[in-house]
Amino acid sequence: MASTRDIRRRIKSVKNTRQITKAMELVAASKMKKAQAAALAGRPYAELMAQMLGALANRVEELQHPFLAKREIRTRGIILITSDKGLCGPLNTNVLKLVTDIKTPAKYAVIGRKGAQFIARTKRELIADFPANDRTAFPDIKVVAEFMVKQFIEGHVDTVEVIWSRFRNTLVQVPTLMPLLPLTSLQDVLKDLHADAGLKAPVAAARTAAETQMLFEPDAATVLESLLPLYINREVYQHALDAKASEHSARMVAMKTAKDNATKLLGDLTLEYNKARQAGITQEILEIAAAQFAA
Amino acid sequence: MSLTLEIVTPDARVYSDTIDSVVIPTVEGEVGILPGHIALLTQVADGELRVSKGTETHYLAVSGGFAEVGDDRVRVLAEHAITAEKIDEGAVEAALKRAEEQLKAAATADPAEFEHLQGLVRFAGVQLAVKRRGR
Repeated sequence: MASTRDIRRRIKSVKNTRQITKAMELVAASKMKKAQAAALAGRPYAELMAQMLGALANRVEELQHPFLAKREIRTRGIILITSDKGLCGPLNTNVLKLVTDIKTPAKYAVIGRKGAQFIARTKRELIADFPANDRTAFPDIKVVAEFMVKQFIEGHVDTVEVIWSRFRNTLVQVPTLMPLLPLTSLQDVLKDLHADAGLKAPVAAARTAAETQMLFEPDAATVLESLLPLYINREVYQHALDAKASEHSARMVAMKTAKDNATKLLGDLTLEYNKARQAGITQEILEIAAAQFAA
Repeated sequence: MSLTLEIVTPDARVYSDTIDSVVIPTVEGEVGILPGHIALLTQVADGELRVSKGTETHYLAVSGGFAEVGDDRVRVLAEHAITAEKIDEGAVEAALKRAEEQLKAAATADPAEFEHLQGLVRFAGVQLAVKRRGR
């Protein structure tokens, strides 16, 4: 049996750990609230924008834009969104599993240190990495999106896809891969977005060709020219917000679990300590009694 | 016959209601939308958006974005939008001054930052114009 001193030392260390994890849980909880609010507030906008594009989707054939053109896929371009810091449970591991599943040639632009380290370690092609600040700001993310779009337009990559952990709720984050460019699978994207918001598939998708007659002002080309890049930037931004909300949620849950474990361990250790102490006292009494008998 | 109007910005859903008509500032000039309007997709300019509901008229300041009309539904995606009642003149003026100063300092700096500030200045101008209308 371990000596009481050893147990006492362990109790002290577990107590310290519990205090730290508790503090981290509180910090994560307050950040989580903000991050979740930001992610949820941005959703109607992202969804509405996708719906607008959905209205265009039926006419994609007639519209000319590099974003809409189908082309042979040789190299995939992937924007990977992870966190900078660890200690958030299986969050990053789950996201990176999706990366491991990609067997075709791909180039990566990464937000967040964890992802950049992973890509470098596994000898994949990292073309850019960006820090994941605690406050996700649109201008920062825009840089990433525009960088990738440039690669796409110049033909270095043939798709633009995003991998991030989609935020469902505090307990559930789903690692997701979503293709952004070329915009040929818009209807699928729409369905995804609706599933996210907990709505049914849009009725608009069933409209006939005659009803989709649409006026563009000033003209279709101009509208597309500004709507499409904005859509890409906003979409990536929304995913970054989502990833942030996921990160803080996962961290809070991980820290709460750690704290609960520490509390449980502390209970067990205290019990063991008391048993050892009791055993020591009993032993002493026995020895005194025995000595008295002998006298 | 009525229209449903939705105005959404990246930060929030600013307006969502059933209305009679709406006048949207677009890059081609103001466009009045009544029920039964043909499907339309247009770029929204900086300016004043007027909503008529019954005898009431609401004013909103909007800046940048897109508007989609179809099926008696009007959806506006704006970079910024705010209802006239919520505009705080003093705060906007202060913000305008701040942004203009930063703009001067940032003129040669990061173009993305510059663009963002310009957007702020424009929206502040629109807000003041909407708030002070008819004065």
